[in-house]
Amino acid sequence: MKEKGSTLLQKESTKSVLASLIAILIGMAVGAVIILIVGIFNSNLGLKGALEGIQLVFGGLFSTGRNAAGALTFGFNPTNMGNMLFRATPLILTGLSVAVAFKTGLFNIGAPGQYLMGTAATLILALSIPTSVVPAPLVWVIAFVGGCLAGAIWGCIPGLVKAFLNINEVLACIMTNWIAANLVTWLFDNGSLFENLQNHVENTKTAYIYKTSFNGVQTAKLGLDKLFPGSQVNGGIVVAIIIAILVYILMTKTTLGYQLKACGASRHAARYAGIADKRNIVLSMAIAGALSGAAAALYYLSGNTEFYWTSAYQTLPATGFNGIPVALLAASHPIGVIFAGCFMSMLDIVGLQMTNLTAYNEYITDVIIALIVYLSAFSLVIRMLISGRKKHKAAKVDAASTPQVPPPDDGGTAEKGGGEA
Amino acid sequence: MEAENIIEMLHITKEFPGIIANDDITLQLRRGEIHALLGENGAGKSTLMSVLFGLYQPEAGEIRKNGQRVKVNNPNDATVLGIGMVHQHFKLVDVFTVLDNIILGAETTKLGFLQKKEARKKVEEISKKYGLSVDLDAKVEDITVGMQQRVEILKMLYRDNEILIFDEPTAVLTPQEIEELMATMKEFAKEGKSILFISHKLNEIMEVADRVTVLRKGKYVGTVNTCDTDKQSLSNMMVGRPVQLQVEKEPAKPGDVVLSVEGLTVPSHSHKRNAVNGVSFQVRKGEIVCIAGIDGNGQTELVYGLTGLEKCSAGKVTLCGEDISHASIRHRGNNMSHIPEDRHKHGLVLDFTLEQNMVLQRFREPRFQQGGFIKKGSVREYAETLIQQYDVRSGQGPVTLARSMSGGNQQKAIIAREVDRDKPLLVAVQPTRGLDVGAIEYIHKQLVAERDKGRAVLLVSLELDEVMSLSDRILVMYEGEIVGELDPKTTTVQELGLYMAGAKRSQKEGEGA
Repeated sequence: MKEKGSTLLQKESTKSVLASLIAILIGMAVGAVIILIVGIFNSNLGLKGALEGIQLVFGGLFSTGRNAAGALTFGFNPTNMGNMLFRATPLILTGLSVAVAFKTGLFNIGAPGQYLMGTAATLILALSIPTSVVPAPLVWVIAFVGGCLAGAIWGCIPGLVKAFLNINEVLACIMTNWIAANLVTWLFDNGSLFENLQNHVENTKTAYIYKTSFNGVQTAKLGLDKLFPGSQVNGGIVVAIIIAILVYILMTKTTLGYQLKACGASRHAARYAGIADKRNIVLSMAIAGALSGAAAALYYLSGNTEFYWTSAYQTLPATGFNGIPVALLAASHPIGVIFAGCFMSMLDIVGLQMTNLTAYNEYITDVIIALIVYLSAFSLVIRMLISGRKKHKAAKVDAASTPQVPPPDDGGTAEKGGGEA
Repeated sequence: MEAENIIEMLHITKEFPGIIANDDITLQLRRGEIHALLGENGAGKSTLMSVLFGLYQPEAGEIRKNGQRVKVNNPNDATVLGIGMVHQHFKLVDVFTVLDNIILGAETTKLGFLQKKEARKKVEEISKKYGLSVDLDAKVEDITVGMQQRVEILKMLYRDNEILIFDEPTAVLTPQEIEELMATMKEFAKEGKSILFISHKLNEIMEVADRVTVLRKGKYVGTVNTCDTDKQSLSNMMVGRPVQLQVEKEPAKPGDVVLSVEGLTVPSHSHKRNAVNGVSFQVRKGEIVCIAGIDGNGQTELVYGLTGLEKCSAGKVTLCGEDISHASIRHRGNNMSHIPEDRHKHGLVLDFTLEQNMVLQRFREPRFQQGGFIKKGSVREYAETLIQQYDVRSGQGPVTLARSMSGGNQQKAIIAREVDRDKPLLVAVQPTRGLDVGAIEYIHKQLVAERDKGRAVLLVSLELDEVMSLSDRILVMYEGEIVGELDPKTTTVQELGLYMAGAKRSQKEGEGA
């Protein structure tokens, strides 16, 4: 048992997880300090409010409001849990998008643009195909695939430019982001091609597109609404997790993943070995783009979200950019992305809880997110520290242990002994 | 009173995961001597020097200067102790000027402003004194490798270092530059500076060093005076068994033509002239054809053109009866294996494990994949076979990161992979560059064995000894053309040198020599 634990601790993947967890803990601890300082100097909050804030940062997901005496109560909150999963869905996919690109030596900062293109394609397909002619589930599939394809095509552009003209993908991504932003506005603006998709049923709203539920095309709940009543969760999270697992298999088990990683790690060596380097660069960006497109598709196909655009100044969707911290926190591991995405959306929920229950606003959680992102960039350093400590401990006990101890046991006792020392 | 030994490294032990790089090693450097450190790749020479320079902390042992125990925690401590090092791969800032590089980290300042004039005067004095001519205002990226090395040497002198470490300084130099360097080193020693010279080139050690310390597989073998020893016994000490310095081979029995090149032309990236200009030759089964020449005369581009890494602008390449002039790299790989010149750039994916590197071309074969899924078990098994068969040493076997392996073992891994692919043509570009005698002997034997198995071998080499001993035919390249075909049995090194320098040409020019 002991031995098993020590070999597990020595594994690289364990170190990554540990490093990310430490980054999260430090980030939340520093966040707690900030909350404390803000609280103490705010007459609406005081020390009591500050302590409540800290409680919420760590346990916001399990917050169930306040009791009659005005004290915070905690317990299982299915609404919060479901909403966390709902919000995690697009984050997991944009996180995967960035992670796949990272693994293949590319920095996909174009996720927001790919996400917008996916949004546009999904909405147009989901709302334009009459469900009276085509069955709604089929429209859903068409809209989902269309969103992925649009993202893929948008991801291809920086890939092509990088492969054939050797222009840095970061530059091309940033530029295609803004092209996408304005293209989408142009598509839905008054007097343009898809003006008819503007939401005119609810008169109070301007510059909104219909929800996909308007056409009866929304993601099946798969019983998740029973499990998490009162939340927005739907089958999208299942699709996202399946995609993450597929990406994991693609990257680690297949020849395609091998080629993509070879090109990413050393374009010259891959070319020398007869691997089509240019094709693979375009392909990785296309896969990354498709994942961002899928994020948008699942978010808007949920049926309870609506797309807002403005002809004055289109902003880039934060979900796209938030894929970067998710990928960083997960050390680009596809399975890790699932948890990192859930964690990030949990902080979102925490922000909401704080706004609802205390005098803090939700931006305080953005500060914590920023801190964690910052620290996750240091995860390599943290990892090195972990390894260094291990070795030091092992060496210390090695010197002390008697020669009778057989070598395989050494690691186990080293861990244990070092921990007690 | 000064101690006889200026630096003593006593009982140094340094471990890395899975390997003991230095195991109880003692090295004593006398004042004013040139002390060579000799050992195979991975013997622990560089590790030992990194310990002295403060880059690594040893697990055991101590360092003494003038008999006093000192602690070297980082390179700054080393500098304070007067220890300077020229690394194998230079540590220069490419976009800085030579002068900026020399003063970097030891700038003279007044109120926070650089005082470059004083620095320049001092550097100019030093460079004049030792005849180390450099252009102080040129950017490092624009100057030759030889000049970059002079910059590194000037850096040490500028810091008034009295203990100079040279880590394989001659690996990147031309023969003329090597001679100059040797003279400079002797000059330093005469002035009382002490030099540690890491090398595995026996000729150089015999010429320049006073004493030699030999390491083998991380262990101390012994220290000898160069005047009391010879090349053969040194190489035996280094490898631990008698080594053949001469290649033994039967006369070639050339068979059918495997590779036929007609009028091959490859454009150059750096200048308007073609890097390879209308080159024609043939390589037949069962022979080793060597392309000789001074570095930069188009050999690299010729190989790029043959292997498909570079597009040819004219000419025809026929391999095993098939025109491959415009074929893809992968297609060419069906009949050709290639030991590349740059093992870090082309030969290996450094961030992949050894086993992943072993199947870099072969992962598509049904043996290693099924329906697009890699058969991890067979890859592991194959890698283990190759590792054992070709004696590739690494910390963790098949799962070792290629980056963490020593240069010699990286090269062995590439050779294992390429030879085992079992293709009619083997293109080997400088396969022994930077390797020690043991590894060289091994690789030479492999190449001869491949020839005897009926393979066609095209060897590109800059080492005259290698060219003369290994090849069955020599083609000399000069300025992108083949200027002569020589028979190693009837020609002399001097004659070969004349062809390489462009002073002599075969009469039948244009006929592909």
